[in-house]
Amino acid sequence: MVTWDLFIWFGAASVLLSATAAAVSAFNEERRIMRYIRVRTLAVALALMALLSLASFIVGLWISLGRPPLKTMGETRLWYSFFALAAGLFTYLRWRYRWILSFSTVLATVFIMVNIFRPEIHDQTLMPALQSPWFIPHVTVYMFSYSFLGCAFLLAVYRLFSSRTDVMPAADTLIYIGMAFLTFGMLSGALWAKEAWGHYWSWDPKETWALVTWLFYMLYIHLRLLGKGSDRLLCLLVVFSFICLQMCWWGVNYLPSAQDSIHVYNR
Amino acid sequence: MQLSMFSYPLNLILALIWAGGIYSLWRYRKKSRIVSFMLSKAATVSAILLFAGFCLATGLTGRREIMSSWPAAAVMLYFMSVLLFVLLRGWRISHASGKGRIRWRFLLNHAGLLLAVSSAFWGAPDSSTLMMRVEQGQPSSDAVSQDGRYSRLAYEVELTDFRTEAYEDGTPSMYEADILVGGKAVTLKVNHPYAVSFGEDIYLSGYDRNWKDDSYVCILQIVKEPWKYAALAGIVMMLAGALLMFVRGPVRKVE
Repeated sequence: MVTWDLFIWFGAASVLLSATAAAVSAFNEERRIMRYIRVRTLAVALALMALLSLASFIVGLWISLGRPPLKTMGETRLWYSFFALAAGLFTYLRWRYRWILSFSTVLATVFIMVNIFRPEIHDQTLMPALQSPWFIPHVTVYMFSYSFLGCAFLLAVYRLFSSRTDVMPAADTLIYIGMAFLTFGMLSGALWAKEAWGHYWSWDPKETWALVTWLFYMLYIHLRLLGKGSDRLLCLLVVFSFICLQMCWWGVNYLPSAQDSIHVYNR
Repeated sequence: MQLSMFSYPLNLILALIWAGGIYSLWRYRKKSRIVSFMLSKAATVSAILLFAGFCLATGLTGRREIMSSWPAAAVMLYFMSVLLFVLLRGWRISHASGKGRIRWRFLLNHAGLLLAVSSAFWGAPDSSTLMMRVEQGQPSSDAVSQDGRYSRLAYEVELTDFRTEAYEDGTPSMYEADILVGGKAVTLKVNHPYAVSFGEDIYLSGYDRNWKDDSYVCILQIVKEPWKYAALAGIVMMLAGALLMFVRGPVRKVE
């Protein structure tokens, strides 16, 4: 029987494997270790094993609970860490960014640590509206998107204070990935809202700010495609879009207009 | 002016005139000033900025009615028109050899967005949301619209049974209602609506206790949205477009 008591082993194994993969991937990927194994191959293998460790815990828990582990907040965090690692590995394979594995490791570790050290919040309850198969994908893709757009923000701030001209293509890649996931998040939210509340879109404050954020990043993408705007203006736009993202993520809870929002759950 | 004045079939006719007009301008008046403006960089940028500006105003003030005002409708019409012009020009690349290539990512993203936005825009006059209170053992077909007007449904709804479950701290974990809709037995709960007919769904919106005999009263929401299938198609296209955005990444320009 796989229970939460065993999670410390699976979680720790996953964190260690993933951190090693991240450390290995920091080396030149064509270098060989012990003559035969390429750095890149080793990093991918370690990252896969980290994923496997979490996946086997999820499968085991699923079997012993007799239901998919998608219900409590602890179970949600389990999927966060799994998807963070999976998406990090995919991005490493696809775009060959060396730093991405360290990034996804940190993200996953935070959620694994919470599950190990604060087990009392495993069983936090979900209100009926949140009990839906849409809950996990809707939230995880947003988290993933936020992390990419966060990196793009840091890059834009760096560009504002430096004279390097080669950072914009990297910012483009980050924003394309972030926007793809922001779109998944927003549209999965729309599909879920239709099922739960009857309308794809109802201009709830959180929805409105998500759309504001989406449109400003879209503006960035179009300005880049059209070859318009100086780097300075474009970086300021990325900074502004990221501020809108913060409004959407948590700032909206402090707006007086959000008091009747259907997205404020902690009351 | 009432929005319901534009309900089907007038909205469909206007939508066809709009799309047909843009198509003929693009096809037969390619050199005209209006077509070259709508296909310019300034049109793309201003359309996104105007839409974003109205959303920003709504987000800052929390006043949803901004998005249903006439200026917002004009902005949306402009946004949709720019999208349609750009789509007509760019959905495929034609080569001199006569063999064209469809630009799938561009097409899915732009056509999906256009379909989703225009079904909300042109479908608005046909959409309505009604609320009704249904008491146990008392069939009813009386509903109230959002602006407080009384409306009679074409069928009767009756609450037969209501169940709730709560967590240990007393917060509700589940509630569901057994109802009869036009004589048919249906179970409703949150996230599980019932489709009465094409484009009409019943949602369990909330519940109440009757103070007299402690029986249950459930609050139902009836949503009529016949254009929802077009919106769904648009959303699915955009999801596919976003997937291609992730897989292919930015367009690398040769400089």
